[in-house]
Amino acid sequence: MTALPFAPDTPVDAAADTGAIAPPRWLRWSKIRPVLLPLLFAVAWLATWQWGVERFPQTRSVLSSPSEIGAILGRSMPLLLPQLASTAREALMGFALATVVGIALGAAITLSRRLEQALFPHLVLFQIVPKIALAPLFVIWFGVGGETRLVFALFLAFFPIAAATAGGLARTRPEALRLCTALTASRWRTFIAVRVPFAIPSLFAGLKIGMTMALIGTIVGEFVTGQQGLGYMIMFAAANADSALTFAALALLCVVGLAVYATVVLAEIVAQRWYGAPFVTEGFN
Amino acid sequence: MSERTLSFVLPLASAAVIALAWQLTVQFGDIREIILPAPSAIAEKLLRTMPSLLDQAVVTGREALAAFALAVAAGFVGAATISSSKILREIFYPAIVTLQLIPKVALAPLFVIFLGIDHEARVTFAALLSFFPVLISTAVGLNNTDLSALRLCRSFGASPWRTFWSVRVPFALPHFFSGVRISSTMAVTGIVIAEFISAKEGLGFAILAAGARSQTAAAFAAIAVLCILGLALYGAVAGLERLAIRWYRG
Amino acid sequence: MDTLALPVASDAVAARGFIEVRQARKVYTSGDKPVEALSDVSFDVAKGEFIAILGPSGCGKSTLLMMCGGLERATGGTIEIAGRPMTGPRPSIGIMFQDPTLLPWKTVLQNVMFPAHILGKPDAQYRDRARQLVDMVGLQGFENKRPHELSGGMRQRVAICRALLNDPDILLMDEPFSALDAITRDEMNEALLDIWRHYGKTALFVTHSIREAVLLADRVLVMTRRPATVVADIGVPFGRPRDISVSETPEFAKLCADLRGMIEHGGGKRARRPGDGPVLQPGRHGGQT
Repeated sequence: MTALPFAPDTPVDAAADTGAIAPPRWLRWSKIRPVLLPLLFAVAWLATWQWGVERFPQTRSVLSSPSEIGAILGRSMPLLLPQLASTAREALMGFALATVVGIALGAAITLSRRLEQALFPHLVLFQIVPKIALAPLFVIWFGVGGETRLVFALFLAFFPIAAATAGGLARTRPEALRLCTALTASRWRTFIAVRVPFAIPSLFAGLKIGMTMALIGTIVGEFVTGQQGLGYMIMFAAANADSALTFAALALLCVVGLAVYATVVLAEIVAQRWYGAPFVTEGFN
Repeated sequence: MSERTLSFVLPLASAAVIALAWQLTVQFGDIREIILPAPSAIAEKLLRTMPSLLDQAVVTGREALAAFALAVAAGFVGAATISSSKILREIFYPAIVTLQLIPKVALAPLFVIFLGIDHEARVTFAALLSFFPVLISTAVGLNNTDLSALRLCRSFGASPWRTFWSVRVPFALPHFFSGVRISSTMAVTGIVIAEFISAKEGLGFAILAAGARSQTAAAFAAIAVLCILGLALYGAVAGLERLAIRWYRG
Repeated sequence: MDTLALPVASDAVAARGFIEVRQARKVYTSGDKPVEALSDVSFDVAKGEFIAILGPSGCGKSTLLMMCGGLERATGGTIEIAGRPMTGPRPSIGIMFQDPTLLPWKTVLQNVMFPAHILGKPDAQYRDRARQLVDMVGLQGFENKRPHELSGGMRQRVAICRALLNDPDILLMDEPFSALDAITRDEMNEALLDIWRHYGKTALFVTHSIREAVLLADRVLVMTRRPATVVADIGVPFGRPRDISVSETPEFAKLCADLRGMIEHGGGKRARRPGDGPVLQPGRHGGQT
């Protein structure tokens, strides 16, 4: 048997074979492509948009070019910034309160098996029903101020969080529970030491949905109360046929949406580090 | 009482208890009708305005159904397209994920005011809202087909078309339907939001109008009809899902 | 590395520490028809004996083990351990399952100390013992690793340490190595023989591998299904300390062949007849062993 021409565990590098100098690992085409392609696509799409509006000025009434939107953003910052603050504040507060109430109630439901059987289906049912339609009720109850939007955001965000908490706590892996029974652990200690940590992945899935719902609740609340906020701004600018301002406000709203969602995702990354494994959940309906 | 009967009875019983508590609190707690009407008042309003409510329900339901059908078709085709080639997937996936993070409800004024207050604008908006859940779930399902099954098809020399319909679609059905279920809720929600912004008919409009006039019982009645509509659509989807799974999986 | 004793209060009457099973029966009544998972099982286990419970799926061996561990109640008959009937789990009885079920957010050492942690006992008391156990199974250096960094075999070793933390009088093991690949399984068998050299308490080990049973045990209880009962109680002639080389002796092969015959033919009570059907039949009760 002829000896191998290279040590068996040296990776055979095709580029090295040709004698050319191989580029560093991170610059390889296979690694760059997933990042470059979407970027190119986004740039191409923006460029087409810009070109399209300039080439067909009739569309200016409906669609502003990216450059116009950028200009308006700069000019209208003093007007838009307070609206941004209002939306962000109400969405975040609504989410924070929904988290506290949702976790508390979700956990409370699972304390008794009968209670869980009685109430969990209602939680699931409320996920299906179009809760957005209740916005006018909140105006009746709380008026057109900031509390209305905050409470409505809380209302929308509460259900997915409670459902996720209850689902995660109720569906602990049976092997883990069996282990605790075999160790003669009390129900309470089993709950704190095993059921709660195992529910954390499901909780974060619910928190991500809850954050989205809190923002949606704030925006729809702004539609219905018609006082302030970026959602209101969009409605106002659209009604005045001010396309550039509409898109500018929309762009800012996207930034808010991404920012608040990113905070939850960051928290999830930290939690996954602690949990020692990536979160894989099967949903909590 | 067996476990299975209990899992039926307990939720129903708790609902009845809550309804009863509600009725008694309003009746004997002397709560103003504007704040919280009693279930009896809502039921009475519901029965009295049933014809009008049904008309509104038909308007909203029709539009929601149109938006839903559009979204499911487009979502399925879109997912099939994206998952057919690695390059397409790499281009579009990040874009879709980012688009998902845009609060699309905020687009409602754009659609309704720029494209008119006719029902096309509402349907398009609701379709956009419901399109993404189907697209994403189906794409995930199609991409996660069992590799050994795919390899089997390749070894038989099966064409991509046959492979798609005989293997990848059945595998993706559960994902597809979970997206479709969410989409059905979003379609109704989308129409309602669009009606909030500007509409002259439909259940969303009815709720808003009742709210503006502080007719809380009427608002609740319209909400009740809307809930039934939403649940009916969801139930229809669940039923279709059961049929499709049975037909495809045998 | 001889004594792994520590100041733990096992529950009283550990002096006798033997197991007495008399006409044990288990009937499941969920669903339409009652299912008899176990019928009329009787045997004794002396202190320090390693017993293998061997049989195909559906013969009730796991059910029997659960009943000995207090995780299931016998429908009929009695199970007494250390002179007291089994009514529930006891800290003096350690149990190991097929799934190691390590808590992913805890390190190896914390997982080993989990039995003390969940009962609210101070960690410091148990840390030394936990370290000794981890060393004993060959995982020194891995104390601060997380379960997701370990292989399947390593996770089961952590589970063994966890089961031994309280210095239980009896260790029950329900097919602990069945989910591992063949090579790892052999390694684990060797590891268990090694551990038993030092530990040497009473054990009940459920398995469907004839080879594993003969290698590890002092006695093998052969079970069949329909009816789910013990059909043979065979002593294993190899002494202790024992190592894996014993599996290459002709006596070993003969014993395995004899046991195989007993399993197939119902313990010699009935010879196979033509038209008996396939040897391996799917279990009726969906996986209840």
